[in-house]
Parts: sequence; C-alpha cells; structure tokens
Amino acid sequence: MIGSPILATWFPEAASTHAAGVDGPFYWIYIAAVLALFLFTGLGGTFLWIFRRQDRNQLGAVTGPLNPIFLGLWVLGALGVAVFAFVAGFPGFIDQTVAPQGSYGIDVTARQWGWDFIYPNGHVADTLHVATGKPIHLTLNTEDVEQGLSIPAMRVNQAIVPGLESDAWFEATTPGSYELRGSIFSGDGFTDMNSALVVHEPAEFTAWLESVSDIFQGRTYEEVGEILYSRLGCKVCHTTTGHKLVGPTFLDMYGFEFDTVEGTRITVDDAYIRESILTPNISVIAGYQPVMTPFAGLVTDQEIEAITAWLKTLSSKGGDASTEAGADTAGPEAGQEDI
Amino acid sequence: MNAATDSYLAGKGGIPEWFTSTDHKKISLMFLGWTGFAFLLGAIFGLFLIVKSLGGRGLEPRFVFQALTYSRLLLVFLFLVPALPSVLGFFLLPLQLGASNMALPNLSRCSLRFYVIRLVLLIASLVGGPIATGWTMAAPLVVAETGLFALVAFGLFFSALSWFLTGVNFLVTVHHKRAPGMGFFDMPILSWALYLTGYLLVITGMLFAVVILYLAASRFSGEGIFGADPMLWNNYFWFVTTPAAFFALLPAIGVISEIIAGISRKRVAGYRMVVGSMITLLGLSFLGWGVNLVGQGQDPITTLVFQALGILAVVPVSLIAYSWLATLYQGAVAREAVVVFVFAFMVHAGIVALMGLFLISPSVGAYLGTTMFAATRLDYLIWGGVLSALLAGLHYWWPKMTGKDYSQDVARIGGVLYLVGLNLALIPNLILGVGGVTGDMAAFEAGPSGLAELAGLGWLIVYSGLILVVGNLFASTWGKATDEVNPWGASTLEWKTATPPPEGNFAEAPQAEGLYRY
Repeated sequence: MIGSPILATWFPEAASTHAAGVDGPFYWIYIAAVLALFLFTGLGGTFLWIFRRQDRNQLGAVTGPLNPIFLGLWVLGALGVAVFAFVAGFPGFIDQTVAPQGSYGIDVTARQWGWDFIYPNGHVADTLHVATGKPIHLTLNTEDVEQGLSIPAMRVNQAIVPGLESDAWFEATTPGSYELRGSIFSGDGFTDMNSALVVHEPAEFTAWLESVSDIFQGRTYEEVGEILYSRLGCKVCHTTTGHKLVGPTFLDMYGFEFDTVEGTRITVDDAYIRESILTPNISVIAGYQPVMTPFAGLVTDQEIEAITAWLKTLSSKGGDASTEAGADTAGPEAGQEDI
Repeated sequence: MNAATDSYLAGKGGIPEWFTSTDHKKISLMFLGWTGFAFLLGAIFGLFLIVKSLGGRGLEPRFVFQALTYSRLLLVFLFLVPALPSVLGFFLLPLQLGASNMALPNLSRCSLRFYVIRLVLLIASLVGGPIATGWTMAAPLVVAETGLFALVAFGLFFSALSWFLTGVNFLVTVHHKRAPGMGFFDMPILSWALYLTGYLLVITGMLFAVVILYLAASRFSGEGIFGADPMLWNNYFWFVTTPAAFFALLPAIGVISEIIAGISRKRVAGYRMVVGSMITLLGLSFLGWGVNLVGQGQDPITTLVFQALGILAVVPVSLIAYSWLATLYQGAVAREAVVVFVFAFMVHAGIVALMGLFLISPSVGAYLGTTMFAATRLDYLIWGGVLSALLAGLHYWWPKMTGKDYSQDVARIGGVLYLVGLNLALIPNLILGVGGVTGDMAAFEAGPSGLAELAGLGWLIVYSGLILVVGNLFASTWGKATDEVNPWGASTLEWKTATPPPEGNFAEAPQAEGLYRY
C-alpha cells in the first residue's frame, strides 16, 4: 500500500482481522492530509514571500471578487477528502460493531487497577489469552469508575462505562504477546492497567486453558487457600492484619476460642471453618452480624481444605501441617500471575 | 497635556488605580499578565511530564497525574479559552468600533476579578491538596478523589461566570457602541469574530456554571446526578468544552484575518463569506461534542451521526483558509516579524483541522479517539493555534498597546525556534498515539527509541524561542517609544487614534469611513 513504508513503524503489528479496516483508511487519510497541509502552507508561505513589500508605501492590489472556479475546486476538494475519510472508515467501523455468531466469549471485568478475564469454564486470569483464527467476543464491565480496554495490535479500543455492559470483538491472526492497556484514565494506579494479550495457536490455547484451570496444579494447599481468599471475595469482609471489618480478622483465628452471639463458646477448628463457609450464619462470633453469603454449592471440599490450611498459617497456634497437593508440587516461586 | 490626549499608561494613580480601573485597555493588559502567569505555571507542570518521559526517577505516578491535571486545567481553562477574547478582545473591540470603552465597564473589571479568583482557588487547591483526576474530571472518578476538589470546582464556577460576563459585555458593546455610520458589515473582521465569540461565551458560560455545580454536588453527596450514569457527565462536559475550543478558534480566525489584511494592505477577500463561515462554525460548535466521545461509551449510531456532522465543518474552515490565501495574493506583504507568527498559525491551524479528518473517519476515530493522537491535537490547539494567534496579535498590535517598538530580528529568531521546536515536540506524540498509547500518558511510555529525546529537544527549542519572544516584548517596554501612529498603514479605527491611545480612546468621536480602504 502507498505510504505504508513511511508509516509501518507507527502502527503496532497488525495481528487481527480488524487491522485492514483501520490501517487502510488511516494511510489514505494521512496521504491526503499531508498533501493538503503542504498545499495550504506552501501557498501561504509562497505568497508571504513573493508578495513581500518592495517599498514602505506600497499598497496591495485591490481585492476583487473571488474566482468562483478556484473557490469551488478548493471547497469541493476539501469536502471530498472529508467525505472520503468518513466513507473509507465506515466498513471497518461497522465490522467492529457486531461480533460474529459463534464467537468465543470471554467476560472482562475492569477495576481500579487490574483486569479479570473470565473464561467460559470459570477460570479467571489477569492476562488475556486467546487462540488464532476464532472470533473473540469480549463482554466488558467495570466494578468502579469508567475504564477503557485498548489492545493496539488488535486495533481494539473500547470504553467501559459503569453500569453499562460494553462489547468488543476481534480475531487474532498471528500468535505472540501484545500490549493490552487501559485507554481511559482511572486514577492513581492507572499504569497497573497495563497487561498483555497472549495469542496462541488453537491447540496450544486449549492446552493452556486446561493446565491453568486446575487451581491445584503446581501449588500447595496454603497457596491455593490464599488465592481463593481473593477470588471468592473473602477479603472484602475479612482482613489478615488484625483489623476488624464486617467479619472477624483471619489473623490468629484458627485454634483460638471465641464466644458466639448464641451464647456458646466455640474453638475454630476444621469443622467450624467448614460450617462457617457452607452455612455461615448458624454459629456467629460475638460482635458480628449474621450477614455472610452461604457458599454451599460454590466451593468444593478440596477448596475448603485449602482455605483451612492457609488459615492455619495465619495463626500463632496454627498448623505446621503443610499438605502437598500433588506429586509435582511447585516451589515458592510458583506465583499467582496465571490465576 | 490633557486628559483627552494623555496615554492611558500615563495615569498618576499608580498601582491602586490599575486594580480599580474599568478602562478596557488596562483590563486587557492585566489579563495579559494573569493569562501569561497561568500559561507559565501550566508550562512548568508540563516540564515534569517531559522529565518523566525522559526517564525521570523519583516522580511517583500520582505526582505525575497531578502535574498532568494542573497543566491541562491551567492551559485549557485559564489560557486556551480566555487568552484571545480577554487580552486582544478587551483591548481592540472598543477601539475597532470607535468607542471610548466597553459598554459595561464594571463587568469588564468583574470578568478580570473572577478570573483571578479562579486562579487563586486553583493554586490554593494545589497547595492544600492537589487533585489527580485528569482535566476532564470524570465522574465517578472525582467522587473518590482525595485532593481538594471543592476549590477546583468553585474555581471553575468562577471561570464560567467570567466567560459569561465577558460574553455579555462583547454583545452589548457591539450592539450599542459602534461608531456613527458603522453597520454590522462595516465592522472589522476581528470585531465580528469577537461578537460571535460573545454568544459562545454567554451560552457555554451559563451551562458550564450549572454543570460544574452538578459535578460538585455529585462529589459531595458521594453519588449525585452523575453517579448513576457517567455518560451524562461525559456528554455535559464535552457539550460545554467543545464550544470552548471554538472560543479560542473564532477569535484566532478573526485575529489572523485582520492581520493578514493589515500586513497585505488589502481588503479581506470574501469578507461576507468569512463572516458567514464564522457564523456556521458557531452553530456547528454546539453540534460537535460527540466527536470527542468516540470510543468512550457512545453508541455506534450516535457516533456516526456526529462524525457525519463533523464533515460539515470542512466547508466554513476551507472557505476561511481560501480567504487568507486570496488576501495575501498580490498583497504588499510586510517584512516584519509578525509574518513568522502568521505562518506558524497557518501551519498549526492546518494540522489541527486536518487531524480532524482522522477522528471523523469511523474506524480510525474509534481506534485513535482516546489515544495520544487526540491528546496531541489539543496540544496543537493550545501551543500551536491559540499561542501563535496570540503572539501574532501581540506583535501586530504591540506598538498600539504599549507605544513601544520591539526588536524585529529577535522576534523573528524566537518565532522560527518556536515553530520548529513545537513540531519537533509534538509529532513524536502523534506517532505514539498511532501506536496505541493512551491519551496524556506519553510520560509513562518509552516508545520507539529516540522519540522521547526528540520531543524533549523540541520542547527545549520551544521554551528557548518563547523566552526570546516574551523577553523581547518585555524588554521593549524600557526601549524607545514608537514614532509611528500607524506602522502598518492599516485602515481600521484602532490605528486612527494616538499610540498608545488616551484614556477615552479618541480625542474626538470617530466616524466610520468605510472598511479596509487602502
């Protein structure tokens, strides 16, 4: 395409099917705009120079009526470029507006400051992974302020307004890792909205999703418990620092005795933790309201064991027990970034 | 010596007289001082962003966001919008109409005082607890803001009042203070531009005052009118600030048209066509806000409608550009330094207008709408369009305003440095924008190697040029008095009185003698 050698370094890599609908019109508008700028400023600069005053008292020529042919050509030319810019960008815009039938759906939640990409099987990741050759339909929501999702290599840029569900879609063509960022300023930690899009070959994507979807794969129970503390939303009401929120702190809870609002005295052990997760309002620690959502049917027995193992690590009386999840136990370096 | 012929600068009352003066010329000079101060502050905050983009360590993100917010607030609300109407408008409107003062002199003083209150409140918020919401102050982001937003909000409220009062003053002055025999189509083109700007200032001043109170209520109630629907705030904000960009553009068009006629010693080519184009732009300014919401939650059909409307703006803009070229053609163009600033304006205004083509192209606009590309267009408007027009105006009317001559050579060198430097500084940001970098976030992006350094070098050249230009004008106030009443041989009424003009502008009430008669 004409102009592309000049501008090839401006755009990020064209790695989606949307690129043609954006880059093509951009190149043509760019060429027209540069020519128009040179024409206008070139004529202006030339007139300022060649008609410069030869003596102090010289007067300009009498201004006559404007030449209708030149004027008409000038305005029609400008209007033609503008109409062209609009028409050239129209198909690409329409193409981006509605996702094709049968797209692979991923729910996206933006918040101050990070992303949750939620896959159809419930797996949540903070980077976006997709396969080539399949339209990806993103359903976008924000938990707090206005946000925006920009994936330049896919030519995707979509605002996410609180209370409104937004859509975006793209079909990646080239495997690789690309920038993904916030496109609307959302406060002090805005630079933390920078994440990544990883595009896999289809078979590789399927293998990736299977491997990361098993939360216990390569992690100790304690590590899984800590991840679940964030993922299940426990941290909204329970701190690990000793501070009291809606619910009691998890610091120094396991193995300690507490009075309940029912007037009994309980020891926080494996059974009490299990009961408090599945049917939390049966036995409530004194000083708190019975307002917790029951998690019966939402967590597995294995996950409850993981949470219990993690709570033991927060207690000064707590467990020295560290139950390994599997044969291929990961070391401390097994991070949470894939969750 | 008597009061009718003494220069307005020769007042015996000292500084207190300036504070209480209702003379439009003194108001204008004080506006020049205050807008210059606001611009300087905004530019200093901009320096932090440049340092950050060059890898500045120790600058925390919140500090950079604060610098960004205040740089934009100062440069948009205290420079871009008010600079041309307040400085050149207040000085020239009564003189061009043959009047002794603005029609409502007390309102002139009020406009200035509200401007100063606004600046003081903004600085107070900066000292007490700077905000970091970005200049668009989007709800619900401001609801959680920990800085002193109240001071910023009330400051903006006073800004809006200042715009409103200035607008009323312009309208009443044009309607009631024209010299005998001066019909509407006998007014100089700049007076027409200021008259139309008056309508913009009145309408958006009122709206902005109300909107900012809504936003403050939203902030203090923790929810408020915008809490439920952020798009409401987005639409209100851009409905008000899109015409605000035209506050700057219309007077700039007037200033440049007037100067081009003056330096060419020719009548403005297509005078009525230019007036008609400006009226059309005035109308379109209230229909164009949605172009700023492309990719920001606006539904696709509405976006297309706004972009199609944007096409219409091409007609008046191209007609005005044609008029400038036709006026210069076969003119007797002056050789003075003002020519450099006129050319700088043509380059920068051309870039601002042509960048609009990308944003009205639906797919390209959706991709670029929230990137550095659009943010750089605002920079071109502030640092390019308005500043070029203001500098052109100051260099053209400086002898009239101060009675002093400045060094033409220094002004030329400064002007060329400014023109070259600004494009070196801003084009790298355009490239970053096309690369997908989020608007105003260039400071956090390394980008292709050498780009930030190139922009940094550009800014160094811009600042050097501006120091030369401003220093040259400032130094001229100690220099020799100009010996020419009408150095340009121009025909409008401001050149028919003493230089600088007396307190009441004209020793004898002037008659309209026909416009641009050479």
